[in-house]
Formats: sequence, structure tokens, C-alpha cells
Amino acid sequence: MTVKKLIEKIEGEAELDFSLKNGSVEDVTINFGFYRGIEEIMISKAPRDALVITPRVCGICNHAHLMAAVQAIEHGYAGTGISVELTDKAKAIRDFTLACELIQNHVKWFYLTILPQLEHLTKEESKENHALKASYLSTTITKALAIFAGQWPHSSYAVPGGVTCDPTYVDVMQAQALVDETVRFFEQVMTGISFDAYEQIDSVAQMHEIKGDIGRLLYLLGHYDMAKRGQSHDRFMVLGETTGFVQGKSIATTIANVDVRYVEEQPQSGTTAKAVTYKKRQYEVGPLARAMVAKDPLIRSMHKRYKDSLLTRIFARMHEVAYLLRICQTLLKGLDLRQDSCTLEGHLLASDFEGIGMVEAARGSLIHKTVVKERCIENYEIIVPTQWNLSHGTQSEKGIAVEAMVGSQSMDEASFIFRAFDVCSVCTTQ
Amino acid sequence: MGMDKQESVKKLFTVQSAKVDTNRGDAYYEKLYAQCRARLDELKKLKPLNNRMDFTQSIEEAGLERRDFLKWASATTAMLMLPASFTPLVAEAAVMMNRLPVIWIELQDCAGNSEALLRSDGPQIDEIILDIISLEFHETLQAASGHQAEKQMDEAMEHFHGKYLLFVEGSIPLGMDGQYGTIGAKGETFVDHLKRAAEGAAAVVAVGSCATFGGIPAAAPNPTDAVGVMDVIKGKPLINIPACPANPSNMVGVILHYVLTGQVPELDSLLRPKFAFGYRIHDNCERRAHFDAGEYVEEWGDEGAKNNFCLYKVGCKGPMTFNNCSIIRYNEGVNWPIGVGRGCIGCSEPDFWDKYAYERPMANANIKAPTGGVEKTVDEFGLGLLTAAGIGIGIHAAASAIAGKKEDGGEA
Repeated sequence: MTVKKLIEKIEGEAELDFSLKNGSVEDVTINFGFYRGIEEIMISKAPRDALVITPRVCGICNHAHLMAAVQAIEHGYAGTGISVELTDKAKAIRDFTLACELIQNHVKWFYLTILPQLEHLTKEESKENHALKASYLSTTITKALAIFAGQWPHSSYAVPGGVTCDPTYVDVMQAQALVDETVRFFEQVMTGISFDAYEQIDSVAQMHEIKGDIGRLLYLLGHYDMAKRGQSHDRFMVLGETTGFVQGKSIATTIANVDVRYVEEQPQSGTTAKAVTYKKRQYEVGPLARAMVAKDPLIRSMHKRYKDSLLTRIFARMHEVAYLLRICQTLLKGLDLRQDSCTLEGHLLASDFEGIGMVEAARGSLIHKTVVKERCIENYEIIVPTQWNLSHGTQSEKGIAVEAMVGSQSMDEASFIFRAFDVCSVCTTQ
Repeated sequence: MGMDKQESVKKLFTVQSAKVDTNRGDAYYEKLYAQCRARLDELKKLKPLNNRMDFTQSIEEAGLERRDFLKWASATTAMLMLPASFTPLVAEAAVMMNRLPVIWIELQDCAGNSEALLRSDGPQIDEIILDIISLEFHETLQAASGHQAEKQMDEAMEHFHGKYLLFVEGSIPLGMDGQYGTIGAKGETFVDHLKRAAEGAAAVVAVGSCATFGGIPAAAPNPTDAVGVMDVIKGKPLINIPACPANPSNMVGVILHYVLTGQVPELDSLLRPKFAFGYRIHDNCERRAHFDAGEYVEEWGDEGAKNNFCLYKVGCKGPMTFNNCSIIRYNEGVNWPIGVGRGCIGCSEPDFWDKYAYERPMANANIKAPTGGVEKTVDEFGLGLLTAAGIGIGIHAAASAIAGKKEDGGEA
């Protein structure tokens, strides 16, 4: 029996076609019916127009698109012999603003999607206004972002060779205050313990110390026996070159190097989304992948007990919030404002080049590829994280999210597992 | 040739651009005041829709003091280009926003405007207001989904037929019979969805550059044949709030203006409210003095950039872009693109995605500057169309319909 179910509130919608057998999920097809054609639009435009147009692929991870676009140009320039050496300051500012974007995404996803859906699923609805919490935190951290980037969403402040802003110490102090405010929220509302105490937790045995809303999440998943559901291929990929994250792949717990040349995109029938594979195999990207490749002790410890389950996947994303907040503090503290913001001289423009930009976006590895001939874009490719996680799969193996949903006892549970991947329709289909 | 260019640049910057009449004389404002007063008194007699949150209470819950609220009210009064004497009326109108039904639909978009509006932007009070306005239907925000959601929207459209404000985010793909974007379990195309939702709307508000002018999806070669709302919906009062993303303050401004006066605000020839789009970025730019002094950033990261000089030569489109970002700014007023040395890309102007994108400094770009300003208005369009009495009765009837359905009832 096949049942179609519409999944909304994922920055658009997706259709899941469930094949059911005796009530449990046997197979799923994920389809998106949405298209804008951003890659087509880039053709024959000026190379730097990518800095204005591609962030607008997505209202949530627009900053990651900007970073991938600017890195693609810089990589291309470097290939023609132009030296593009960013100052530590410019690099740190870019990484800081990107980290802020990841934080707002994770927290919004938690409060607007995961917690309400989980409460609904377990019929343990609380009277708390989750939306207000999401809005408070994302407002705070995107203000810190806007100090350097001008606005969020849709900034274009990164340019080949650095950034356009030239912050003062007052700006930095303002940003520090906003990050500290976010840390306080993490302590008081999300975990109920001090930030330092949270960072000391490095194994499953200590996780009971986590209270607050994340504590509630752990309780609900554990109490309703969902901790081990939603396991997939246990294969992870991190391609982005972003501060704090380690590039590589992890199969079970074995880490190895990666090379972007093995990444392939294929069209799929019935949907506007393309599939992505690495050496023809399926890999999961995102916070869980990043923690696994970086050998984060707490996530490794969870993985030992629960594998790549719903619980590990959801918790890894929230755990990353703490990790990124610490990175934000470190980056701001280390800023040397005397350094140049942008080092590339304006007259140095390459007329023909090919470049690749890879960053870690909120949902995983994001790749931009640009091919420029006679100062015009000849081809532009955008490979987004959700394509990795939500493909239909190949003949030999199911897609990551599909594999995770197979065996679910109900469509509601399967939909929840689906949402745990932090799905974004507009990115996937562009 | 050099002379011609110099002349044309001179003409561009000396032309009187701010054609917004901010002082219309006592008689005008006295009449308007009386009109607004009468409308608010009428609205006050109605019960809030559908158990909406109470504004005063929400303000207190958010830990804001009345003084902060009044500060916001006076700033908003100024933004709407009304005299300071209107401040108490604006404050009152804010409290009564829960009496106005709003339906919000998302089409071919990136969710950026919803993001800007509902989650991450706007002074705190604007945000509370958005919790309070009677948002009857919003695909992302409402609790229901699937068939239940569709039913909810159908019901809202029926109950409030002829009375609701319809907010539209995203462009409309007309190519391939509209199949580039579909919505809901039945796979209704965006264009049909919009037409159906607009049919019973009192007025339609297009939010963001996609909904107003087609936006990024309409960039050449426009693969999906994307257009803005005004190309699809005819014969309805229509307000455009462009920019990418649109500034939440301007969205709230439009709603507030409607509550206060029962009318569509004064619009320019592109149907943008004059209170927000009546002047250019350049007119109120914080770097304007450097332009006047001839001090420019010549390339990113140079001495000029370190000294916050004018960005005109690195492609800033501020002189030809009508919007109020230089005053309202973004992310709770923390900053705006020019504040971080990144020239304006003209995101509230039609075709910015093809004409204004940023590698091309203005002097080298093939752009026709809008030297005419915004003097051409469509006042006739909005004014008087939605009269105070008319909408007052409309809302009354709607509120009664809802009240009758509730168990604890109570006639409005």
C-alpha cells in the first residue's frame, strides 16, 4: 500500500510517498515540486554577481551560500596564479558570521520543529511558548552577525580577498556582549547548567546532568523508546573548509581523507532535487557527521550506544550550538583589528577561471562550482547538504533519510525521523 | 563625452528627489485625525478575533515598560510621516491590531521574508505585534498541516471574505502551466492558489522583491517565467513592499496604517508606500558627507574603506534606490549593508538582479537613473476605497461570526 503524505514547514514542502506493510514503513520516496533555476540564472552573468544572487537561494542558510560563492571565486583566482591570501582577521570575521548563522538555524529548528513535533507525537504537550524562545535567541545572535555583515538574511559583505567591513573595538565588544547573552540563554533555558559544566560532559553516563529544554528532549526520546530509531548507513562526510570543523569521512568510526573530485550529482525522476554520491555511495552530512569526523568525545560515546540514530542525530545538532558558541568567543577575542580587511587589489581580475568553494553550512557540506570564460559565468553548480541526506538512493542502497525511516511503526514517527535531518526544500531544489 | 557624463551625474544628484509631502497643513491633519479617531472608536467596540493575544499583556510578559512602548509609538508615527500629535492614536491602533484578519501565503520564495519578519528581525515591539495581528493563516507558522491546514485557510477565506489583508511572499512561476511551483495535497499551482486567495481579500500586500517584481527567480533568462503579484492580480488594491528581504518595520507600518485609517497608504508609481520608499538611500546615507566632499572608496580594503568613505565608485546603487534602510536599518537597527562598507545593491528596485548586481560601478553600468523621483502617485487608488465605516462594519460582522461559534460565545 502506498500513502502520500505532505511535509510542511521545511521552508516549502515535500511529498513523502510511503510504502507500508502491516503498518510499518517499508520504503519511502521523497519528492519536491518546486523550482526556480538559480544555476541557469547564473549563466552569462558576471562572476561576482554570484555574491549577490546565490545567497538568495535560501532565507535560512544564505550566509553559507555567500561564503561558498566567494571561496569559489578565490579558488579560481588562485588557479590562475593570482595570490589570494586572506588576513587572519578577515578569515576570523567570515568564520564568526557563519558560526552565528549555524547557531540561529539549530536553535530555531529545535524550538520551532523538533520540540513541538516531539511533544505532539508523544502527546506530552507543554504550555511553554517555544516560538518565543526561538525568536529571542535567533534575534540576539543574528544581531551579532549583522555587526560585521550589515544584515541578515541576505548579506553580501564577503568579497574576494576578504570582507568589506572594518570593525572597531566597540563593534567587537558589542558582538561579545550578544554572544555572552546567547551563552546565558543556553545555560538558563536550554541546558539548566553552566556552560563550563556542560563542556565537561564527555560521555553518555554524565548526560543526566543536562536539564532545561535539551534535557526534556532527551527525556522524551528515551521515555518513549525512540532513542535507537532512525538508524541509517552510519557513513559520514565533511567537505567544508571552515574553522572548527575537520574535513574527512567517517565509516562507522574509521576516519579517512576526502577528495571533492569523487562527488557526483545525478538527476532523479519525479522530483526537482538531484541526488549526490561520493564514489557512488550514500553519505550523511551535517552536525552528526561533523562531530563524528572530528571525534567529539560525547557524540562518539552516544554513537557507541545508539549508533547514528534519531537521538544521536538530534542531540549532535544541539551539542554543536555549544561548540560554536565557544568558537565565537575565541574568534572575537583573537581578532587583531590592525590587520587588513581585504587584501586583493582591485585591478587583479582573472577573465578565465574555474573554482570550487566548500563550506560547512547548518545542514552540512555546501559546494559551489563556478566556470568563468571571458569574464562571464559559463557554468555554475550548487550542491547543497540536503541533497546528500534526502536522495532516493541508488540501486544497491537506499538514500540516507529513506534508510532511517524504513522500519518505522507509523508515518508520524517516520515524518519525525525525516525532520530530524533539518530539511530545507528551497535549498534542495533551488 | 566626459562633459556629458559629468553633466548627467550633476543632474542626477541635484534633482529634487524627496517628493514626499511631509507637511500638508493643519487643516489636512485635523481632518485625518478626526477620521482616525472615529475609526478607532468603531474598532474598539469589537472583540478581538479568535482569542488573539492581548497586546498590553504581551508587552508586560516580554518585560517591556510602557515608556518603551510609547517610544516605539512615536518613532513609528514619524516613520508613517504623521505629526507627533498622532502618537497616542498609533499606540491605540497597535493595541487594536488583533481585530484585523491577515492571511499570509508563501509562493516561489526562499522564506527570507518570513525569516526577516517573524523570527529574526524588527524591534521587539514589532515582533510582538506580529504575534498579535490576527494572522488567520500562515503556512509556516500555523500549527495545522496537510488537509487540516488547507481546510483552515478555506475557512478563514470564507469567514473574512472581503475583509482580510492578504500578504504574499514569493514570485509566481507562469511557465509550464504553473507546474514549477505547487502547493498542498492537491498540487494546486502557485498562480491558482494566489488567485483564489486574492479573490476575497480587501487588499493584497506583496512582500519582498520576488512578490513585487519577480525577484531572483525572474533574473535572466527567467527559467520558470516568474512574475510579481501585480502581473497576476488585477482590480484589487495592491501594496508593494519590495527589498530583499523586505524590512519588517515597513510591513508593520502598512498594517498599522490600515488599522489606523482604514486606507491603503499613499503609494508611488510602483505601488510602494511613500512613507518607506519616498526617498533614496542616498538622501539620508550616513556616508553622504563623503560623497559631497568627493571622498570615495576606490577598492575594497583601501584607506577610504578604513575611513568609511562613500561607496559610489565601488558600485553603490544608493543614489537610484528608493528605500528607508538608511534610517530604519536592519536586525533591530544594529546595522545595514552600507554600515559594513558594502554598497547598496538596489534590492528594492525592479530588475536589480540583472541591472544592479554589484561588480559594475554605476558610472560604467547601463542603468537609467530614476531622476523623476516618486512624484507620480496613485493616491486615487487607495484613498476612499476602503472607507473607515465600511471596514468597521466588515470586521464587526466577521467578529460576530467567530464569536457565535465559540462555546462561551458573547456577542461582539
